[in-house]
Amino acid sequence: MFETLKKLKYGARVLLSRSGGQPETVDVNGRSTVIMHAGQGAPFVYLHSALGESLMWLPFYQTWAKEFRVLVPTHPGFGKSGGFDQIDTVEDMAFHYIELFDALGLDEICLGGVSLGGWIAAEIACRWPERVKKLWIADAPGFWVDAEPLPDLFRVMQDRDALRELLFHDPNAHMAQLIISAERKDEDLMTAYQSMTVLARLVWERPYNPKLAQRLHRVRCPVLLLWGAHDKLVPPSYGEAYRKHLPQAEWKVIPNCGHLPMFEREAEFVEAVAKFCR
Amino acid sequence: MQCYFFHLMPWPFLPDDFAETYDSAWVWIPNSLYDPVKGHTLYQEYINTLSYADELGFDGVCVNEHHQNAYGLMPSPNVIAGALTQRTKKCRIAVIGNALTLYNPPLRVAEEFAMLDVMSGGRLVAGMVVGSGPEYFSFSVDPTHARERWREALDLIVKAWTTPGPFIWNSKHYFQRYVNPWPRPLQQPHPPIWVPGVGSLETIEFVAQRRYAYMGIPFFHIDVFKRVFSLFREACEKAGYTARPEQMGWGVPVYVAETDKQAREEFEPHLWYFVRNLLRGIGLSPPGYTTPRSAVAIIKNQDKFLAVQKTWDDVERGVFAVVGSPETVRQKLLHYKKELGAGVMLTGCQTGTLPHELARKSMELFAREVMPYVRDQESGIRSQGSGIRSQESGGENQESGVRN
Repeated sequence: MFETLKKLKYGARVLLSRSGGQPETVDVNGRSTVIMHAGQGAPFVYLHSALGESLMWLPFYQTWAKEFRVLVPTHPGFGKSGGFDQIDTVEDMAFHYIELFDALGLDEICLGGVSLGGWIAAEIACRWPERVKKLWIADAPGFWVDAEPLPDLFRVMQDRDALRELLFHDPNAHMAQLIISAERKDEDLMTAYQSMTVLARLVWERPYNPKLAQRLHRVRCPVLLLWGAHDKLVPPSYGEAYRKHLPQAEWKVIPNCGHLPMFEREAEFVEAVAKFCR
Repeated sequence: MQCYFFHLMPWPFLPDDFAETYDSAWVWIPNSLYDPVKGHTLYQEYINTLSYADELGFDGVCVNEHHQNAYGLMPSPNVIAGALTQRTKKCRIAVIGNALTLYNPPLRVAEEFAMLDVMSGGRLVAGMVVGSGPEYFSFSVDPTHARERWREALDLIVKAWTTPGPFIWNSKHYFQRYVNPWPRPLQQPHPPIWVPGVGSLETIEFVAQRRYAYMGIPFFHIDVFKRVFSLFREACEKAGYTARPEQMGWGVPVYVAETDKQAREEFEPHLWYFVRNLLRGIGLSPPGYTTPRSAVAIIKNQDKFLAVQKTWDDVERGVFAVVGSPETVRQKLLHYKKELGAGVMLTGCQTGTLPHELARKSMELFAREVMPYVRDQESGIRSQGSGIRSQESGGENQESGVRN
């Protein structure tokens, strides 16, 4: 009962903040890209995870929008963003984004993301370090750690309980139940399938970039590495791998948190990122 | 109707508690469950069974490709087909098929199929398949480009067979400086092409346009076949011609015994071994392997698949298998032959644990007491060499003249 109330409360917050973000479609060299944005101040770009949390303006964006100009683009192939036929690798994603930033006239940005989004952010920062003022990466793949192989997300994705278990520290908590709900409409199934298709194209044959380690030294800006202490999908050892190649990085582990800190430990996560970007 | 004998080469020795202990007979099923000593005998028996089908007068035998699983022990069907070129004399050898995207470069398929065609004296049927979902897990091959790559690979193979080499091939996924396969296929312009499918409209339309043959793979409800063949006929009309029966294949397990009762008693336990163990995990579908719409449709149509059937009644009602006395099987097959309009039947009875002698008995009864009645006049005259029965990409019918 209590958990249901909490779910309803989050729903209400989503409703209240919804009007905050304005969706727009930007043409990026033929790739029609959906982007939501709100707020004033320094440009702050959030790159979403494979969950596709960019499709709706969520409360945590709204919190950031109080002090930054928050931009939340949807990756090619996700939701209503086009251009998936031009995407084969994470590097293609990086090129897509630098062209989006050019199109929007964003010269210097605070850039970060969770999971897949964090990895793309790192790839962008390696290639165009002068464009990234601050870089934050949360629970992101990108490396391969022999001692702790990444589990196969595609193996468990059909099993809602197993998926919830993999993504959350506490799979019984209301946010876990809300984000990975038991019941799904056809439309949600199709959206999820589409999102997983994009992810599969990027990581199916090799779930990391073997060149990342030798390129990260090019990143010159301050870096924040944020990890859920109990991330079972991309364990903290992957954050340690980033850290090894980004000696300037601040390392912050979020206790009682799994793979999705923006949902499982929202307040702590949002504040850590905001503080770093101020 | 042409009668082919289909074999998966299933593994019969899974532990009794397999279904309770393991979630899949595919991809991650521990290969410690495989025993190479038993495997040796099994291959012998299975190859014997297939060459027996030739002796009994089946029009062809079918082998297919699956990886890292207990359902079908032919990761390379071409190896088995190679053996069959030497063990069979008259029947067609249908490899249905090679999963083109798993061959890099797919030129390898052009080569191996040409070898088989030459070795068999022009008896090969060349199956070109996208490969089932689990294969993409097994080989870590990108499923999101599966269909695009499959088409490119198919075009490359057909061109390699029909255009004098060497030539350069350049497509999105494949670049080949020298396409020049030795040997070339014996059947001209190339062996008949069959495409096994499970009902995706995209594939149906493609096969219709190319005038290849569409093989509905077994283990689906009869309604699925009805729908698929009706869509196929429509697609052929749209492409400007009327589908020929040989362009449509119906895959279904068939078991014949002396009486209906005996047939069920002998076959049923072995069908359940197959359903409860070997079909576990076959539905594994990697994202991007199909369109989101088809993916949802597949999830919703799961009740049309053999894996979820619970009772013998379900099996009979859905015609997931045709089991009975010669008279019963004859009647059912004639009925569905008419209803489906299919000109090729892919029968088979080895579901894993069926004793080899029962498999042979059923095949004998089928060959003697069913086959002559369900065959069309034309396709029945096999000894005269009906040559290449499937149409080719150009749409011409050729006589090979080499067989026999």
